[in-house]
Amino acid sequence: MIKRSRLVLMALLASSILPVQAFDLNDALKGAKDAMEQQKGDTSSKPEDSKAPETTAEPAKPAINLRNPSQAEEIQIGREITGNLLGASALVKDAALQRYVNQVGRWVASQSERPDLPWHFGVIESEDLNAFAAPGGYVVITKGLYRKMQNEAQLAGVLGHEVGHVVKKHHLKVMQKQQLLNIGAGLLGEKYGKDNHTVEKVIGSGAEVLARGLDKDAEYEADRVGLVLATRAGYEPYGLPEVLQAISEADKSDKSVALLFKTHPHPDDRLTKLAETAGSRLDKITGKTLENRFYKLKP
Amino acid sequence: MHIRTALLLLMLLPAISFAADKGTALKADILRAQPYSDAKAAGSLARGERVDILTKQGAWLKVKTAKSTGWVRLLSVKRGTSGSSATGQVSGALNVASGRAGTGQVVATTGVRGLSAEELKSATFNEDEIKQMESYEQSKPAAQKFASSGGLKAMKFSYLPAPGAQP
Repeated sequence: MIKRSRLVLMALLASSILPVQAFDLNDALKGAKDAMEQQKGDTSSKPEDSKAPETTAEPAKPAINLRNPSQAEEIQIGREITGNLLGASALVKDAALQRYVNQVGRWVASQSERPDLPWHFGVIESEDLNAFAAPGGYVVITKGLYRKMQNEAQLAGVLGHEVGHVVKKHHLKVMQKQQLLNIGAGLLGEKYGKDNHTVEKVIGSGAEVLARGLDKDAEYEADRVGLVLATRAGYEPYGLPEVLQAISEADKSDKSVALLFKTHPHPDDRLTKLAETAGSRLDKITGKTLENRFYKLKP
Repeated sequence: MHIRTALLLLMLLPAISFAADKGTALKADILRAQPYSDAKAAGSLARGERVDILTKQGAWLKVKTAKSTGWVRLLSVKRGTSGSSATGQVSGALNVASGRAGTGQVVATTGVRGLSAEELKSATFNEDEIKQMESYEQSKPAAQKFASSGGLKAMKFSYLPAPGAQP
């Protein structure tokens, strides 16, 4: 509970709204939304719609309708975020590894409700233990996390968790709220009002949305989806739980898990939730682990 | 019968690595005499209780508590004893010892190693890298082929309900 309110607070601070509004986020959102509709009149503004008198000399930027983005817009947002993430940590320069992760990832994603997104997977150089998802089907895991894995079922479980975030549009929803807050702040403080539809405004700075994290329930939901997608794909269901076990053994004070622990519930809590929700449902399931095919990182 | 014996043998293979493992119960559960949900109860497990993990079979672990021995669902028990990070540190040290030491320098020259919130916020877009990532895209049929080559078969399996939700 404390964590959640802190998250809300962080989001609010990030949009420079007075924290007093944290007492009722829903009202704040509603207020912002209503105000936005009043101000704009026609809220279903199309990309080229720019009737408002422009006083700035800035060139027109591609507009994103974040309230109901098209798939193309969603991909555009995800690409921007992922491009920023890759700016912080580059891809491992091992084409065979990247291809392998895309093969496993695409197969897992094919078991989801969005099998036809142009899914992209990548392993980055960071030795942190972490994984990221961005809208539109971009999924990135760190080399440090990959090192903790011993078989393909574990990789499938981890990628499945991230695919879950994309399918459930978790980050998109966070950004939608954020944009409403920004617009609200703009109306209050004349800070954001004008140009709030460009990609940059939508995603904040850098890969900020990934650093901020999601709420706990979104993480638990992604765990459930990840386990299910890996199972549907023919893998043993225990890949994701095994990786969570490995993460829980990491020293909390270790820098390599700092961001993961900050943005996710403790692995023990995630394991407990999975055990509770799975109940007897996995009793009859068998599946493959494929440790022989698991791609070994080059030394 | 033969199939079952073969299956059992197969299941026993990974059991070796569990041999002397300690574990902790993540939730209260019933110990069963056999690895089936309708098998006779052989005891119970309290949340947080320490157990010895004896063997693994399918979705089940055979565990020994202070009072009894029996089978419990794999997800009910966490390997290792919570609160102790000894295992993680040891494996971390092993990773460094096993050939990674020589690459330490190389990793350092790639620049950013940690991914802190600040580093993510101040990150700048890299078009070359994102293009490269996109170049590895696999088509759906290609992924299907890859799955088949590993003997993976897609199966129906419903989404799991949120804990506490009505089934």
